[in-house]
Amino acid sequence: MSEHKHSSRLRAFVYSFLSFMLTLVLFLFSISIVVECTVFSKEYMINVMSSNGYYLMVEDELISSMKSLGNASGLKEEFSEKFVKSLDVQSNINDYISAFYSGDSTLVKTTSFKQQLYDALDKYIAENNIDKKTVSNENLDYFVDNATEVYVTEISIPFFSAIANYIYKAQTPFLMITIGLGVTALILIAIIFFTNKFKHRKCRYISYGFIGAFITVAIIPAVIQISDKISKINLNTRSLYNLFVNYTNGLVNGLWICSLAFLLISVVTFVLYIKYYKRATSHNH
Amino acid sequence: MLRHNNSEHHSLNGKNFIILPIIFCIIIYLLCFAVFAPSLSTLSSLSSFFFSDNPKDFSEEYNNIFVPVSENPAPENNKSNQKETVKISDITFPKYGEQFGELIIEDCQINNKLFFGDNDIALNNGVGIYNGSAIPGYGKTILVAGHNNTYFNGLKYAKKGQKVKMRTSYGNYTYEITDIKVRKATDRTAYDLAANYENLIMYTCYPFDELGLTPDRCFVYAKFVSGPEIDKNN
Repeated sequence: MSEHKHSSRLRAFVYSFLSFMLTLVLFLFSISIVVECTVFSKEYMINVMSSNGYYLMVEDELISSMKSLGNASGLKEEFSEKFVKSLDVQSNINDYISAFYSGDSTLVKTTSFKQQLYDALDKYIAENNIDKKTVSNENLDYFVDNATEVYVTEISIPFFSAIANYIYKAQTPFLMITIGLGVTALILIAIIFFTNKFKHRKCRYISYGFIGAFITVAIIPAVIQISDKISKINLNTRSLYNLFVNYTNGLVNGLWICSLAFLLISVVTFVLYIKYYKRATSHNH
Repeated sequence: MLRHNNSEHHSLNGKNFIILPIIFCIIIYLLCFAVFAPSLSTLSSLSSFFFSDNPKDFSEEYNNIFVPVSENPAPENNKSNQKETVKISDITFPKYGEQFGELIIEDCQINNKLFFGDNDIALNNGVGIYNGSAIPGYGKTILVAGHNNTYFNGLKYAKKGQKVKMRTSYGNYTYEITDIKVRKATDRTAYDLAANYENLIMYTCYPFDELGLTPDRCFVYAKFVSGPEIDKNN
């Protein structure tokens, strides 16, 4: 009797520990899979940009900044409006994102922008009958340099140039870690499944693991949404602010989806546990 | 076997489906806390750096707090020692980017909105006081910027002795132009922000009516003539 109790407690402890390990591995797996599908995904970034009007907002901000620079440089507002429209802002941003995910350290290419700006200035001088002799090349160069800085600022995303190389180098190892965590979770489930004699016990310990994973994962998006911190990020431009908010909301939604998937599995395993438990007790009686 | 199963079914009931996962969750977060504990204070500081208390306002419309006040009761040519003051507690200090007055130089055909701060919105709509300098009446240097092709284009007509008027939400001020100099944009000796007397410096890009950005600046210096002094003790 005492030996039975002892072995029963030991078994309960060992399988509870395996359930805990399952919870831990599923928690890490859900985070890594969300990061894999968002932070390491170029497509995710471009989707967020496309679906939230990021390109249009950047274009508006570029026009506005160029107008301010034009005001300081004696250029009419129409100059900036015409010039920025001639630029394919979307293509430039997509090139920037591609460069970021391919580990290119020079994310914004400015040669073409500068050339187009010099051409536009020449055209403006000709159209407005400005005597070229009165125009200082030094002043124009100064304007073009400042406009290029504005362009780089508008196209760039803060800290991207600093982390581009790390993101590029981390892509493959992170994928391996994600796969490793997935395989570990399957191994733990297999151990619980194949080393238990009774079906209800198999379901019970697997269910513990998945309920634990559901609670552990769900806490993160719940805390983020309750604290309402995302909407209070300090970003200077509307485009970056919207990009950050939508990007982070996507991450949060990814965690919700993972936690709901865990909840669904735990409900299924719980229902199976009840079913097999009832069957086992009725057999015993 | 029957007895064993029954005892197990009694000891591991449905409560474990809630209690055990919660314990797992607590242990995992305690582990996370142990791992991240050394960097928690840094993360907390970073959080306060990256997040503000309120959602960001991206409106490009400026706030106008300028309420014109009647001209000073004491006439400009009144040389009496009677000083007019305005209590600091009666002043609504402008926030960065707010219009709180007007700057007028009749001889130069300048009549502009006066902003606190020299950001793009301010300089696209008028002239702006550099926010590292003082507001009128404070007894310090007031550094006002404007674009040479728009709102400060009239400074090309500036001459010594001309009067500069600044109408603010709390009083009207008059200054007199004393000097005009052209300096490099990088020349920090062109202005003294630490001066302990009221003086006005207006500056813009130079030459005027030039296409492109210029490396020189035209500084117009003016001395205080009249206007209510801000009483900093009240």
